Amino acid sequence: MPRHRDYDDDDDEPEEEEEDVYEEEDEEEEDDGGKAGRKRRRSDFIDDAAEEDDDEDEDDDDEDYGGGGGGGGGRRRPKRRTGSEFFDLEAAVDSDEDEEEEEGEDDFIVDSGADIPDEDGARREYRHRLLPHEDQEEDLEELTRSIKQRYARSPHVEYDEEATDVEQQALLPSVRDPKLWMVKCAIGREREVAVCLMQKAIDRGPELQIRSVVALDHLKNYIYIEADKEAHVREACKGMRNIYASAKIMLVPIKEMTDVLSVESKAVDLARDTWVRMKMGTYKGDLAKVMDVDNVRQKVVVKLIPRIDLQALANKLEGREAPKKKAFIPPPRFMNIDEAREMNLRVERRRDPMSGDYFENIGGMMFKDGFLYKTVSMKSIRTLNIQPTFDELEKFRQTGEGGDGDMASLSTLFANRKKGHFMKGDRVIVVKGDLRNLKGHVEKVEEDTVHIRPNQKDLPLTLAFSDKELCKYFDLGNHVKVVSGSSEGATGMVVSVQGHVVNLVSDTTKELLRVFADNVVESSEVTSGLTRIGEYELHDLVILDNKSFGVIIRVDSEAFQVLKGVPDRPEVALVRLREIKAKVEKKGNAQDRYKNHLAVKDVVKVLEGPCKGKQGPVEHIFRGVVFIYDRHHLEHAGYICAKTQSCVLIGGSRANGDRNGNPMSSRFAHMRPPPRAPQSPMRSSRGGPPMSYGGRHRGGRGHDALVGADVKIRLGPFKGCKGRVVDIKGTSVRVELEAQMKVVTVDRNHISDNVNVSVPFREPSRYGLGSETPSHPSRTPLHPFMTPMRDPGATPIHDGMRTPMRDRAWNPMSPTSDRGGDWEDGNPASWGSSPQYQPSSPRSRAYEAPTPGSGWTNTPSGNYSDAGTPRDNGSAYANAPSPYLPSTPGGQPPMTPSSAYIPGTPGGQPMTPGSGGLDMMSPIGGGDTEGPWLLPDILVNVRKSNDDTVIGVVHEVLADGSCSVGLGSSGNGDTIIAHPTEIDIIVPKKSDKIKIMGGPQRGATGKLIGVDGTDGIVKVDDTLDVKILDMVLLAKLAHA
Amino acid sequence: MGSQPAQIPTSFGHELRACLRCRLVKTYDQFRESGCENCPFFKMDEDHERVVDCTTPNFTGVISVMDPTRSWAARWLRIARYVPGCYTLAVSEALPEDLQNLCEDEHIPYAPPKRI
Repeated sequence: MPRHRDYDDDDDEPEEEEEDVYEEEDEEEEDDGGKAGRKRRRSDFIDDAAEEDDDEDEDDDDEDYGGGGGGGGGRRRPKRRTGSEFFDLEAAVDSDEDEEEEEGEDDFIVDSGADIPDEDGARREYRHRLLPHEDQEEDLEELTRSIKQRYARSPHVEYDEEATDVEQQALLPSVRDPKLWMVKCAIGREREVAVCLMQKAIDRGPELQIRSVVALDHLKNYIYIEADKEAHVREACKGMRNIYASAKIMLVPIKEMTDVLSVESKAVDLARDTWVRMKMGTYKGDLAKVMDVDNVRQKVVVKLIPRIDLQALANKLEGREAPKKKAFIPPPRFMNIDEAREMNLRVERRRDPMSGDYFENIGGMMFKDGFLYKTVSMKSIRTLNIQPTFDELEKFRQTGEGGDGDMASLSTLFANRKKGHFMKGDRVIVVKGDLRNLKGHVEKVEEDTVHIRPNQKDLPLTLAFSDKELCKYFDLGNHVKVVSGSSEGATGMVVSVQGHVVNLVSDTTKELLRVFADNVVESSEVTSGLTRIGEYELHDLVILDNKSFGVIIRVDSEAFQVLKGVPDRPEVALVRLREIKAKVEKKGNAQDRYKNHLAVKDVVKVLEGPCKGKQGPVEHIFRGVVFIYDRHHLEHAGYICAKTQSCVLIGGSRANGDRNGNPMSSRFAHMRPPPRAPQSPMRSSRGGPPMSYGGRHRGGRGHDALVGADVKIRLGPFKGCKGRVVDIKGTSVRVELEAQMKVVTVDRNHISDNVNVSVPFREPSRYGLGSETPSHPSRTPLHPFMTPMRDPGATPIHDGMRTPMRDRAWNPMSPTSDRGGDWEDGNPASWGSSPQYQPSSPRSRAYEAPTPGSGWTNTPSGNYSDAGTPRDNGSAYANAPSPYLPSTPGGQPPMTPSSAYIPGTPGGQPMTPGSGGLDMMSPIGGGDTEGPWLLPDILVNVRKSNDDTVIGVVHEVLADGSCSVGLGSSGNGDTIIAHPTEIDIIVPKKSDKIKIMGGPQRGATGKLIGVDGTDGIVKVDDTLDVKILDMVLLAKLAHA
Repeated sequence: MGSQPAQIPTSFGHELRACLRCRLVKTYDQFRESGCENCPFFKMDEDHERVVDCTTPNFTGVISVMDPTRSWAARWLRIARYVPGCYTLAVSEALPEDLQNLCEDEHIPYAPPKRI
């Protein structure tokens, strides 16, 4: 093609060029059915302003669509020339430069379509006006000529200087424009490659058909090459050192071309007091505050918290070579000038001529108020989306920046607010402007404008503010929830408000949280926040990986705060879930300084160490360390860690309860059927005169014989768990589990206890009666009386009788009395029910045998006479020296209510009649005289040696309390003599015939028509009355 | 390539400067020795002080324009009418006031960089 020839000779185009044009046009038509092109051309003919455009257009078309035939960019010019010559000679005369510019312009016109004639015309005028000046740069003569030739059409070179957005829009790339190709190059060599390609283009001339090369600062490893074809790009890249020609050349989609060239404006207005972050170097990532901006030199002065290793600095300044390249970055620390002086650093005090402020200059670094003032390039700071954390701001505030500084810094915070930050009804305060400190409620929110209703009178109903001028406002005492930030999710009460910062006391940890008002919403919700991650819960005692242990005092979103078991000082560690090895479930025990036995829940006082004087219940005991919960202790969720040796048990604590209360029950414990024995070893460990029960322990709980009992759950989700009954409501029983420290509710039928063992059941009831008697004093005298009775029974035989039932019955009471008296918290249920104290003494077994014998038989009188109250006796047996024993008057009050429980049994009654009275007067009596208590014709289980039981029917109650029992369910078998302790009454079921074993109706028979909890509904045969009687009073009647 | 191309930068480092009017990129020395090909009226080659005033080391991106007339990129960046050479995509400063006045006197249009 002729175009291959030179592109330089504009003017003297030979004739054949014309032909070329035609040829080309033909080609075009052939190539791409260039009708469109032709049409366009025709219209161009009409538009005199666009003659050349037309040509250009044509060329472009040619290039774009003509396939490889186009050859090179350089070739086009001659052709175009000829083309233009064809209709307009003017073009031929124009200078190259002119031409080119024209060309660009032409493109513009064509691209935007010829249908903006107005603009076109306007531009023409404009060009006209501009032309002379513009062309001064050029060859004036030539220009003048060209003007004339063009009928005053100027090349309007400078139009784009005042380009509007619309015009820029018109420059958008079209399919006819060259394309951008993305080429991989050596990293860091982007500019170099661009420049080298430029040089290459100059050297090689038109041969190199690329149009431009773009190297972006923000895009490493790539350059863009503008060319029509990929082949041109390849050609240009050939032989370039830093271009990976083998790599794929990627075409930039036409829509993204402008994005490539649109440079992110560097001119982000950096104002003073803006928060920025450092991008690199030692301070990388550090928060900094802009102190001064030099837009011309693109520098800013920022204020930083210095990270300076003074020693290293000293070494450096003194010329001593720092031996090693420092691998670590010094932590941020305020510069202490005096310290620097001590290190013999030269500190110069200079006045900054601009600001008039004084700075300390050390080794070229400027310090003021401990901060480092550093001049850095704008490029080295990050200004977008800076969200300083509270801590960071706090540090910056430290050095006496006034409230104003604080407010100024808020601008950055505000800038990062999410949309919809304010909502209708929010309480806000104005933080900027004339109306500063005005409070109000948000009425309406538009985009950035917030309309508020001021609280102040005499102001318009609503005022509009920019959301940047407002800040949420909270009053003291508001209950709020933290909705973002590190303590997200926590709730608490606002205790103080300092500007934009709200201090609140967390509901969970009672710690003070400092949060931005922006991050808080008012909420009545009381969340404990998180209390659990995985299997670990707040207040659990856990073992950590490194063998240390501690109590979880706070649960954050991803980690726990653990108060470590270090007694000397409170040490809190932040641990992640995986760092926790195990939870300590077992309840340890230990001895206090005075060798008192400590168990969990005992109240202790710390005698020494940092927490001296604190006191509270022991929550955990582990490895000689106790964790005490002191609700007056505000740190660490109230937990205190101390050595057991530094503590002393204080009055009325659990341990005492054990000491006092358990002895009493202990007696029964040892009588318990073997399987249950381990459950309350403590109690059983010390023998005590049971009489105490009579008065004290019967308490208000009389009818809930089960309360306090140790039971095993045999059905449901807690199957297999052991625990202690804390409460009974209808058919459901609340059981405090031994292993889990929690109280669960289970159906009464789902627990297995030895409820079926009837004797014990009965006893409590009788005690209850006994206790009701107003005539306490009378009991004492009775005791000696009773002892003999007991003697026979006191021997192992008792075991049989004192089934666990009785223990259960008693347990709740002992706590009541002891604790109730001594300790403010004396909640019988909790005390009685807490499982800890049962396991606490393993001695039970040991005591079992001796107690009954020695305690009862050998020294009965002494005990009783010595001590007026049964309690004392107990103590005599167990831990005689305990001073607390006498101090428990608590037993008394509960006695009274008990009378109410058992219907129809006015206290005194049972006492009076001989044997029965004896029984009832005191538990002991009851215990010992159980034999006579039994009645003929009831169905019983007789326990023979060990655990074998045989069913039988009581035939006769002998004088010594033992019974003659006919074996077999009808009593027809062998008759044996059994001691009452060997006999268990069979508890009747619904519809069974029963015999009433106690109370005024004693001896009567009836039918059990229903069971309600511990009460049996009985229809008495004789009177046909329906009575509600404690189940323990009922025995199943043998079939007549 | 119609016109004589501008000088091509001889290095790629910090000594590069861009003309504040036409955005041509050269080294400081090149500006000092031969001025700006597009803006001879600044007469940087005669008054060396001018170099500092008329050029800046703070610019963003480099574009080598081999063929300004037919480069879309050049048109988009409005450097299509300048001589071939290395330009920058954007300078972040405006021409000093006195030099803007000079442009006006010379009837040379000047458009300050847009601040976004």
